[in-house]
Amino acid sequence: MRALIAAATGLLLALALVLTIDALGTPSGRTSPKPLLTTVPAHP
Amino acid sequence: MRRTASLVLLACAVFCAALSPLTRWYAFPHLARIPANQYQDVVLEARNATLLDYGTMRAKKVPQVTIVQTLKGDVAAARKIEKTAHRPVVVWNALSYVQGPDGKMVSEVPERYIFDAHSQAPVHATGEMVDGDPVRRAGIEFKWPFLTQKRDYEYFDAQTRTTSPIHYEGTREFRGLKVYCFEQTVPWTRVPMPKSMPVKGITPQTVARTGTTRWYTTVRRFWVEPVTGAPVYGEEIHREELRGGTLLGGRAEVTAFAGDVKMREDYVEHTVALVKHNRTLVLALTSYVPRGTLALGLLLLALSLVLEARARRPAGPAPAPTTRPRPVSA
Repeated sequence: MRALIAAATGLLLALALVLTIDALGTPSGRTSPKPLLTTVPAHP
Repeated sequence: MRRTASLVLLACAVFCAALSPLTRWYAFPHLARIPANQYQDVVLEARNATLLDYGTMRAKKVPQVTIVQTLKGDVAAARKIEKTAHRPVVVWNALSYVQGPDGKMVSEVPERYIFDAHSQAPVHATGEMVDGDPVRRAGIEFKWPFLTQKRDYEYFDAQTRTTSPIHYEGTREFRGLKVYCFEQTVPWTRVPMPKSMPVKGITPQTVARTGTTRWYTTVRRFWVEPVTGAPVYGEEIHREELRGGTLLGGRAEVTAFAGDVKMREDYVEHTVALVKHNRTLVLALTSYVPRGTLALGLLLLALSLVLEARARRPAGPAPAPTTRPRPVSA
């Protein structure tokens, strides 16, 4: 019984970690203020 | 004590073992996404190209034609479309700006490309366009999906506004990266005149009245890094002609542009460096973390079982019971 509880704890912690990272997500940020280029840039 | 330790190890083992598939099949599709605010530019050059002189309406050789392609993520538009699309969306406002050897504009074609941030599948929403014409894209454009496969893909061609297969041609090494080579041939096709023409007073409408039409063919090649799906090199053998009508003075056709367009060297280097960095991040989610946590989980499980077995083993022989001798009676 104690082994089952330990295994369930590990599983729940893994789920919690992944869901937390997912909830934080990738930051979308703001639209870049840089324009669409109509001149040839000297370098990248 | 040993039993407690084995239970803690078991919890850790299950934690690691569960993290492995969760990272690969849950976290990876949710975290590996094109950022909505991506801004990227690339310069392509066609040396010794042929370009139409609109003054004389004759084709002439020029030392170089430069194409500046910019992709700019529109975050506000992406958030708005996501509400109805119910998936992460990226909206790219793109501009292909073509410049002649004198620095003057030859053509500029804006695009709006809307797609799923992870799968790269097109998302259809108002505003999707090429040069102001509404389009409904099928297939991919500019970038391949993460974990690109060795197979043909459907690729959208902005000039013809159509989608056709881009064929997988093989794998090769390119500056320390394994890349998949893709090639698409667009046969001679009649295409619309660009809305922005290089000469003032000439518009697509005035050209249309002369009966002259624009035709285009291209062979485009991309070398794609398969983990990120990012092209690290691209080239096009591009031909454009004006055909028929009174504008050509009785000639059947005249070359409007012909050239072998290739990525500029400094942009190739920059792209390769960027892709090498991003590749590591994607591999962390698809390979390093899932494999590492699975191995660690199995190791911890083995340790837990060993500790549990030792905890159950008896420590030594039990002491013999002491019995008092009975009194002897006759």
